Amino acid sequence: MSELAAQRMERRAVMAQHLIDGPIIEACRRGDRDAFQTLFETYKDKVFSIALYSTGGDQAFAEDVTQQTFLKLFTAIQQFRGESEFTTWLYRLVVNACMDERRRRKRLLAVEETATLADTSDNSSQETQYARNEVALAVRSAIEELKPKFRLPILLKYIEGLSYEEIAVVMGCSKGTVASRLNRGHSQLAKRLAYLDRHIEISDLAKTSG
Amino acid sequence: MFSNHVAKDSSAYCHGELSVDESRKFAEHLLLCSKCRNEFDEIKRGIAFATQLPIVSAPDSLWPTLDRQLAQLQVSSARNELRPQRGFLTRPQFAVIAATLVFSSILAVIWYRRAKTVTLNQPFWQVTKVDGIPTIASQGIGNTGRLNVGQWLETDARSRAEISVGSIGHVEVDPNTRVRLLETQPTEHRLELAEGKLSARIWAPPRLFFVDTPSAVAADLGCAYTLEVGKDGSSMLRVTSGWVELELKDRESIVPAGAACETRPGIGPGTPYFEDSSPGFRSHLSSIDFGETRDNRTLALTNILSESRPRDTLTLWHLISRVEGDDRVRVLERIEAFVPLPPDVTREGILRLDPEMLARWRTALERTWQGDMDTPKKGAEAYKEIKNGLTRRMSNFGSP
Repeated sequence: MSELAAQRMERRAVMAQHLIDGPIIEACRRGDRDAFQTLFETYKDKVFSIALYSTGGDQAFAEDVTQQTFLKLFTAIQQFRGESEFTTWLYRLVVNACMDERRRRKRLLAVEETATLADTSDNSSQETQYARNEVALAVRSAIEELKPKFRLPILLKYIEGLSYEEIAVVMGCSKGTVASRLNRGHSQLAKRLAYLDRHIEISDLAKTSG
Repeated sequence: MFSNHVAKDSSAYCHGELSVDESRKFAEHLLLCSKCRNEFDEIKRGIAFATQLPIVSAPDSLWPTLDRQLAQLQVSSARNELRPQRGFLTRPQFAVIAATLVFSSILAVIWYRRAKTVTLNQPFWQVTKVDGIPTIASQGIGNTGRLNVGQWLETDARSRAEISVGSIGHVEVDPNTRVRLLETQPTEHRLELAEGKLSARIWAPPRLFFVDTPSAVAADLGCAYTLEVGKDGSSMLRVTSGWVELELKDRESIVPAGAACETRPGIGPGTPYFEDSSPGFRSHLSSIDFGETRDNRTLALTNILSESRPRDTLTLWHLISRVEGDDRVRVLERIEAFVPLPPDVTREGILRLDPEMLARWRTALERTWQGDMDTPKKGAEAYKEIKNGLTRRMSNFGSP
């Protein structure tokens, strides 16, 4: 490994220890690729997860959305003036990218419907590989089956930990709407996963989540 | 108050998104509205499941592709870049001012994020010294201290402390006690009582506050109680208001105000009894719960049945599922002598321990358990007390 590469790795490690904040965003604005990579490494899993769950587990879709989101982020970061929280801005990009990609694929679906459906079913083995246990897999599946308007606030709440106000900004709706949709989403999850109540105590679930 | 149900706010309540006043009204309503309480329980289950949602790792192949695309973007951007004109913005004085502003902003952001992180990411309970010098994580506290998740609060023979349980109540810790905060989140607050005695007063919806002991878990159903754990891990629960449920695996005891219940390691909760029952009655009950020979238990049951009063149907109702064969029939008949079976409940159903029939009969029996004691159904006094407590406590709302 060259000395330059080692320095870069060390710098990235130091940067990654801190939250993404002003200096890193400033470095991204200057075109610093190491800062870009730090930003990417920090958020890639959450962005990818939201994209994946938003599409019923379509891996290829999720990869495309993740790439589009970060490309858009890097090209538009000059315009980010910090009026809103960085994460709120980022997840607004994710949501928009999901919608764009869904529209684009809808057009393609008319031509390639059979192939796309087959791709989706192939992903089940990838999902199974990823899922570490039955509960996580069942939860993931139940969330993917929710209507988008109930699923998205749940993803933003539990993947990213946004507040109701931040979710409202990302979704472009009121806080009351967020509260209402989360409530209905939780209720539907509880009903769909009721068969797990017998096997797993809610208190155990809560503990393992921490 | 029931014209305006609150279940629609359950998620917001669990996520701490309601104002202090809204939270108070929500909790008050839930204490007396079983419809909203049921919906709240469902939302809590949904939340518990949602927190299990795993974050999926993005494939490693994403960055190299993205990096190439970025490089291309930068090259084309450099080609199109216009040469900046020299003006005020490039003067040295401006650079100094800008640097100062940026540095101040960075400091402010770092300070804000740290403050936010401490507040949001490290839930804790406020501990107030009452006597002596209680310790948290083996360090003596001043007048107040913070009990973080995983930390032990200990009192010696001369010290006592009071814990604020988030915004839902408080716990008084007696001398010679060891308690640990296991969990504090919107859907669950949990303490471990290893040894000693605590008094809990909780003004929250049922099953939000739990105390783990070596021989059972005490689940709060909206109440006040004392719980004492001995050196051998056995414990004694005394309920002064509302209800508490003791559980260990599939063994459960529901203990109303005025009643007590013992627990033993490896066995779990014994059978609850009213504290105004005779010493003989309690002694016989102890033989049934923790006695070693079958003959002793049968003799003890005979004595219990002969000494039982109408309100002791609390004890008898629990015994139905803990004795077998003819003994179960004897217990059933003794309860029937006080309170007949409800119309939709049959002897056969009770004898085969049909859960729904047992629950319906219990509801009918609860009237005999009330006496002078408050219950969630009678509840006027308890409610008033709880409401006053809530109002008082909510004014100090602030910890997690």
